[in-house]
Formats: sequence, C-alpha cells, structure tokens
Amino acid sequence: MFHLMPWPHLPESYAGPAWVKCPNAFYDGRRGHALYNRYLDELVRAEALGFDGVCVNEHHANAYGNMPSPNLIASILARQTERMRIAVVGNALPLYNPPLRVAEEYAMIDCISGGRLIAGMVVGGGPEYYSNGINPAEARERFSEALDLIVRCWTEPGPFVHTGKHYKLRYVNPWPTPVQKPHPPIWIPGAGSYETMDFVARRRWAYMGIPYFHKRIFKRNFDYFREACAKEGYAASPEQMGWLVPVYVAETDARARAEFEPHLWYFARKLLPGINVSPPGYTSPRSALKMLGAFGDFMLNVGSWDEIVDGAYAIVGSPATVRTQMAEMIHWLGVGNVLTLLQLGTLPADLTRRNMELFATEVLPHLRNEIGPRAAAS
Amino acid sequence: MPARRIVQVAGKDVRLLTGGDGPPLLYLHAVGADVDWLEIHDRLARHFTVHLPAHPGFAESTGIEQVDGIADVVLHYVDLLGVLGLRAVPVVGASFGGWIAAEIAALYPERVERLVLVDALGLWIDAAPIGELFGSTPPELAEMLFHDQDHPLAQMLRAMTSIADVPEDFAHAQLKALEAAAKVGWNPYMHDPKLEVRLRRVTAPTLVVWGREDRLVPLVYGERYRDRIPGAGLEVLPRCGHLPAIERPAELAEVALDFLSQT
Repeated sequence: MFHLMPWPHLPESYAGPAWVKCPNAFYDGRRGHALYNRYLDELVRAEALGFDGVCVNEHHANAYGNMPSPNLIASILARQTERMRIAVVGNALPLYNPPLRVAEEYAMIDCISGGRLIAGMVVGGGPEYYSNGINPAEARERFSEALDLIVRCWTEPGPFVHTGKHYKLRYVNPWPTPVQKPHPPIWIPGAGSYETMDFVARRRWAYMGIPYFHKRIFKRNFDYFREACAKEGYAASPEQMGWLVPVYVAETDARARAEFEPHLWYFARKLLPGINVSPPGYTSPRSALKMLGAFGDFMLNVGSWDEIVDGAYAIVGSPATVRTQMAEMIHWLGVGNVLTLLQLGTLPADLTRRNMELFATEVLPHLRNEIGPRAAAS
Repeated sequence: MPARRIVQVAGKDVRLLTGGDGPPLLYLHAVGADVDWLEIHDRLARHFTVHLPAHPGFAESTGIEQVDGIADVVLHYVDLLGVLGLRAVPVVGASFGGWIAAEIAALYPERVERLVLVDALGLWIDAAPIGELFGSTPPELAEMLFHDQDHPLAQMLRAMTSIADVPEDFAHAQLKALEAAAKVGWNPYMHDPKLEVRLRRVTAPTLVVWGREDRLVPLVYGERYRDRIPGAGLEVLPRCGHLPAIERPAELAEVALDFLSQT
C-alpha cells in the first residue's frame, strides 16, 4: 500500500499549482498534527490487514504529498510494525549533499526494522529542482554518482576515499550499515524517461512506473524496460517492475464511484497541477519530448469519469470488478509488484479504512492465489 | 549569406557562421533567439567580418558536458579567438551572450577591443530579480521578452498555449538551448556573484544598450553595468523589449555601429 500523505484542505477557490508556488499559508500545523497521525495509523494498519508492505516517498514544497522526509515516516513504521516491508521510494539523491546521509538513514531504518527496508532512489520530481536550487542539468550525473557511492557504502568496508565529480570525501565510513546483505533491495521509480529505464535495466534493479498515466503509457514503458533488459543480455523478471495505481473498492460499482469520484477529482484538479514541470536538462530532449507527448494521457488532462475507467487511471468498483480489472492489468503489463494507492486526495479516514479492509479481504487474497504469491507485493 | 563551418575548439565542435567585410567582430548570442544569421548580423556585416559562433550545446555546437559554469564558457571563447587567430576583437553580446562578453572583458581585458552589451544577463539585483526564463510558459516568455506583442515571434510564442501547439523541431531546439543555459546559469540564477566587482577590470570602451521595456532583465541592470564599467555609456531603446536584435535590429545596428566605428 502506497501513501502520499496529501494535503486535503486546499481552498475551493484556489486554482493555482499545488507545487513550488502553492502558498504555504494554506498549511496549518494543527491540522497537520491530526493528519500525520491519521495517515500513520492507516499505514500501520496495513500490516494487520495482510499487506506485504507499505510505500512512502519524498516531495518538497507542495500540497500533493507532505513527506519532505519520508525517512522520518519510515522510521516510525520500522518501530511500530513487525513483519511488513517498508519501501521508501525514494530519497531524491541529488538533493542530499553529501549523499552519505541517505546511506546512513536507510541503514538506520533497516536496522530498526530488522531488515525490512526497500531502498528507493529517485532523481526527484521536476518541481523539486525549482524548490531546492540544485541544477537539474546536473541531476542525472549527481544521481548516478550518489547511487554508486551509496551502494559502495553498503558493500565495501570503510573507510575509503570517494573522489567523484560532484562529491569528494576523504573518509567514507558510515555507521551503521544495513541488516540486509549485500544491501536492501533497490527500487527506482520513473515516469518513462529512457535514461532511467536504461539505467535500471543495466543495474538489474527494479523499475516502478509512476502513476496517473493512461494504461497504454505504462504498457509502452514496461515494454521498453523489458527490451532494455534484453539488450543487457537477460530477461526482465516481473519483480523488476511495479505498477502504481489508485484503487477504490466498495460493495457495488455504483457505490464505489459515488464515494470515490469527488476525492479523485480533488486529487487530479487540485494536487496534480504543477507536478509536470520539467526543468531544463532534467531529462534529455528526446525523453522530454516523449514525456510531453504522453501528457495528453496524463490524469491532469483527463476530463471525464469514462476516461478514468477506460485508461485504468484508477481501478474503482465492486470487489469482483476490481479483482478482474487488476488481474487483467497485471497480466497485460507483466508486472510482479502492485503498489496500490488506497487513499487519494480528500478521501476521508472512514472511507479509506473501509477501502483498505475490502481490498485486503476481497481482492488481495484473490490476486495472490490467481497470480502467484509474489505478484501482490505491497 | 554567411559561410557556415564547424571549428574544433579543445575537443568541442563549434558551429561558426561568418559573413561580411572589414575587421573582425565577435557576436555572442542570447538563449537561442539569435543563434541563426539574422538581419542584425547582416547590418553589422556591412562594416565588419562578423563571427557568430553557437555556444556549447546550442545549434550544432557540442561540448556542453565540458561546461560546468560561466568560467568554462569564458575559456572556451578565449580558446576560439586563438583558433581564429584573433588577438583582440570588438565583441557584441546579447542577453546570455552579453553576460559571457562582460566576463571575457573583465577576466581577459586585453582580448576585447570594444564592448557592446545588449540587455545582458550576468548581474543580480535583489530589488529587481531577473525574470523566470526556465519555468515560464511560451506565452509568459512572450510577455517578458517583447514590447511589441504582435511581433511574429511574440505571436508564435503566444499561440503556444499547450504542448500540442509547439512544433517538435522548435521544442527540441528550445529544450537543448535551455539545458545548455541551465548548465551555466541555473544557480546562481543567470548571474555570477563575482562579476559586478570584477567589472572595474574592463578596459574596453563599452556601450550598454537596453530595451526600455525589457521585463526579463529590467533596465536597472543596464544602469548597473554602465555604473560599474569604467567610462561606459548607456543607450536606451524605446518601444523595445529584451531582444533588440529581434525587435529593433535597425536601431541596434545603428547605435552599435556608431559606437564601434569611433576610434
């Protein structure tokens, strides 16, 4: 189960972006107190309901997801849960200087949780480069160097010297080191840039498709990823691919739509505007054009419920409907990880709770049995 | 028509357009708008042999991966002058190219014979921040860059209200140009905090030319350049935005040539 920890209190009248310039006067710490604790309860509950794991991620200066430090949330989960995986997908490596901080904090979470961390590494969203001052034209270089350094921290005895283009460190010797050996699983989320998919294929790590696109965009990206793995001389395994999707289950199709639709539109129309900022050099012009070309297939530009359903932007309906549609998608995309967003936008606590329960009891066991135990992770 | 060739400079390809008669002149272009040969270059070429190189990463010029900041661009142009066998030249620099020109004139004063800065980036004034070049939509850019919103280029930008309206080759060139500019000027944003104090080192006679209606780099920056460069003059072009080379080529050529012909 994936959680964004969104801000559900943007004023009705506000029509600006949710990113970079969204006035933080809209934030209210007292409401934040209630919200963080509610969202943490939801994540902790996922374990009792039988989920394989939970996912949190990093975003800055926005109303879409209020975890500028997902590691804080993950460390709470590490202490409050006992069995499930905790995936941080991920830390935006170029924003950490030195990136040793990521190696240290991830190792802490892995130790506290007893080896349950999945270590996500991201370049960071386009808007983050406006909010943090890091040069987006250096983003890929920094990401690649930082990632190599972090893996080295976990696999090579310290102290050692690191002399890279962006980071120069005379004594690399992080304490602690992770429980999992050689290191925690590494997941790389991406929105379809060629560079990211080639990179993940080369390292034989796992690629998580970023949501809110039409299903054909997911399909195209996973097909490209499989080809990229083939070019590296191996067949991609389903566990190397993850499909992230909003899901809502209620007793009937009609009830599911009626309960969920307003919250989905708050998400699409209030929290997505501004997410698609692509700063210069953040991807190659070739990838940028491809991603801009896919923009018509992005949820921000979807106008009707029928389009949401047809494009599988979200899977919404009765348990039978959700089971069938998810099974079809899992087979069609060939993915071995499914990351479900069971809270979205303004979806309140009571509906989120029931959605989680229905998904866990009516859908999750079916997906496990039908598709194999590994297909329903998270 | 200018001659087009690719020149090798320290392992980088430089697309160089050269045209005209007379003594050499180096023209350093803005973030893309005047990278191709335009009326302004024709006008300057009546009196000078105009060299118009594309900056690293722009047009067919390569080597952006060797550029990590403004100092690399300055050295690149000093190297190019060496390749062209030019000791000292008059330099006209517009916008981004104006920043580069000012840096060369401050760091290598002996290489710049006369200096014309046109709506140059490169400085920073807290009270008048440089406009958002990277995060703006094409219509917002048109608003910042042009006084005459009916200028064909302004109209083209204003019509690009969604990505579907942007021709792919234009988008590709624009993305490349912005990436190359970001390598140099993302942060500190389109300026060099050391430049302002170094401008006292400029020995070239200098003319600062500014579009009065520039909303990307407002006129106060032109005044700052004039105040910091010893002996510099300032010519303000009325009814003109950030790109005099595009919007007022005849007026720009006239004031520039008038200044460059003084000895």
